[in-house]
Amino acid sequence: MAFDPTKLKVVKDLGRQDILFGLARRPNSERVFVGSSDFKLYDVDLAAAKPEPKPVGEHGSYVTCVALAGEGKLLISGSYDCKLNWWDASTYKPVRSLEAHKKQIRSVVASPDGKTIASIADDMACRLWDVASGKLVREFNGHDAQTPTHFPSMLYAVCFSNDGKLLATGDKVGRVCVWNVADGKKLAQLDASGMYTWDPTARRHSIGGIRSLAFSPDGATIAVGGTGKIGNIDHLDAPARLETFDWQAGKSTLVLSTDGKHKGLIEQLAFAPDGSWLVGAGGGNAGIIAFYDLKAGKIIFQDAAPMHVHGLALSESGDTLYASGHNKLLVWSLKG
Amino acid sequence: MNPFRLDRRSFLGTSAAASGALAADMTLLDALQNPATAAEMKRKQKSVILLWLAGGASQLETFDPKPGRPTGGPYRAIPTSMPGVHISELMPKMATRMKHTAIIRSLNTKIADHGGGSDLMQLGRRDEPSLRYPDLGAVVARELGSADAAVPDYVSFYAQTEGRGSAVGQAGFLGARYLPMFLTDKSKPENLERIASLSDLDHTQRAELRDHLSKRFARGRETSAVGSHNQAYARVRGLMASEKLFDIEQESQKTRDRYGPTQFGQQALVARRLVEAGVPFVKLGRGWWDSHGENFETHLELVADLDHVMSTLLDDLSERGLLENTLIVTLSEFGRTPRINSSLGRDHFASAWSTTLSGCGVKGGAVHGKTDVDGNTVAEGEIGAPQLFATIFEAVGIDPAKEYHVGPRPIPIVDKFAGAVKQILA
Repeated sequence: MAFDPTKLKVVKDLGRQDILFGLARRPNSERVFVGSSDFKLYDVDLAAAKPEPKPVGEHGSYVTCVALAGEGKLLISGSYDCKLNWWDASTYKPVRSLEAHKKQIRSVVASPDGKTIASIADDMACRLWDVASGKLVREFNGHDAQTPTHFPSMLYAVCFSNDGKLLATGDKVGRVCVWNVADGKKLAQLDASGMYTWDPTARRHSIGGIRSLAFSPDGATIAVGGTGKIGNIDHLDAPARLETFDWQAGKSTLVLSTDGKHKGLIEQLAFAPDGSWLVGAGGGNAGIIAFYDLKAGKIIFQDAAPMHVHGLALSESGDTLYASGHNKLLVWSLKG
Repeated sequence: MNPFRLDRRSFLGTSAAASGALAADMTLLDALQNPATAAEMKRKQKSVILLWLAGGASQLETFDPKPGRPTGGPYRAIPTSMPGVHISELMPKMATRMKHTAIIRSLNTKIADHGGGSDLMQLGRRDEPSLRYPDLGAVVARELGSADAAVPDYVSFYAQTEGRGSAVGQAGFLGARYLPMFLTDKSKPENLERIASLSDLDHTQRAELRDHLSKRFARGRETSAVGSHNQAYARVRGLMASEKLFDIEQESQKTRDRYGPTQFGQQALVARRLVEAGVPFVKLGRGWWDSHGENFETHLELVADLDHVMSTLLDDLSERGLLENTLIVTLSEFGRTPRINSSLGRDHFASAWSTTLSGCGVKGGAVHGKTDVDGNTVAEGEIGAPQLFATIFEAVGIDPAKEYHVGPRPIPIVDKFAGAVKQILA
């Protein structure tokens, strides 16, 4: 293990009035782009003594997600306004704006080569876009528009494998689809319904769903983040849940839950560059951060994060974590 | 304890109900298919359907959106069929039907706990230590029902277990006669069916015999007891025969599909059948909106259900010529905080929230009151529960200035003789 998760400490804490969602980090730097509940997208240099978030541009609703692509020159943001907006990452000039989905966009991720991005929305479609031209390359449809109890479903999570050949998507009711990026074929469908709670008796609605996905560096394992079954669904009142799958065998390989002190959703997942650990962050009323050793099948370290985390990025070496969340932007160090 | 829980055996062990009741009830059932009779009933009968959004629906994700404000959340406001009136984008179907609906955006009811808020918004005031008041349904049942009705006066559905204790009807000083037929996990009342071993002919003949004997007994006697006895039997017989009103299988597949597959939708269809048959008050409890966590996801689900069901109900009642005599009210115990908490939830909030009235007696498209730019306070036209109740009563032709008497004490039907919100009344 290159760095020790138990030595986690906050090294920068930037308070905000707004809620910060998706986060993208400029490679080999302390600069991050982050989407906000004030409908804006910000560029923040966290290396500065007093970071001053600079507005890049604006959407018509919450900016839920951002991705850097095109060799870091282009920034793509997604929003509840159903639009994907392209920006020049240096000048902040708008490049293009697409009505990319019919419903609110939940996430956008860039392929490892930066040439394509994948977006997901509550229209339950995953769409692959060419970064340079903005053209739709392919669409992946494997998620039902309605839950089994006839309510609108939601598509929360998407990720690429490290080699860019695979995509995974995860929805509210706990379905994971694994896709071949090249031809759009569905390679696997997995059941992570332990992440979803439908309450038929007390409250007659649902909560939960798959909120985060990550392929292991070798592409063999998919980690799925969310929350466990909840008794009182007025609150995010269950330990945060991680489940892993051998997606080729189609089977669940591990379920790990945080302890009773750390409740809520795992909103973000990221593997250490060497694959030695996996970090999950999110929260409920309070924030959560947890480090998992998948080989040993255990949680290495779990703690309350200073805020409910919505966005997360790791440094290249894996020794620093950048997080956005409720009223806060944060930098953690694992260097002790 | 269900006040309408009938013991069939003890009831049928005596002589049965008045013969006219069955005929009357069958007429009501037939009326469902008979436009002329429906029109006649429409002229005479007014009804209220209360959509009780238990747990506290968010005004910001329904009828008082604040797009672009820090409190506004992610959902946008959309224009409606009434110029200048915007509602949440989560309600696209209702947005096209605002000609039927008036919005009140200025409730300040001050009580932000579930129990207290429920009591206030269902009674229009708080109980006194020595006096329990009737709830909205009981008063409407008393004022719009008829003593010899062959259908229930007040039917209340509440399927969820959460909040059920606060949803049970209260007749207060009006007496148990005005308690609701309270349905929980089933959408049909229990113990109304005729026992299988008794044919309907036998059942009717028993009723005729009992009627004949009681008439002979009453001949030459001045007694209200016999009349009351007969009335009670007629009512029970009517309730038994009204079982079909709760059966949506009686409706075409097309109609059932229209209301949709959710329990709320199916109960709304029963509610339409009930008001069409002359039931003055139906309460549909749809919970549970208490979104302390994940407010936006919860409302995405529940508002979609509300939008579809409420729109379908308005359309169906309108097409049948019943909307002008049926008032639909959306109401909770309170609204939800403008402040968004760290679970992306909203908490209890009674200081500035919304309700709607649609249909009977309402000026469609009207908006009363206004909250401030962030929805934290009422900026214009503040009202409380008593004014809301006065408005509901006036819309269906009940005089809000009416008084009841408990012993020698006059009890105004509306607390403190509150006035109705005239600008939303037709």
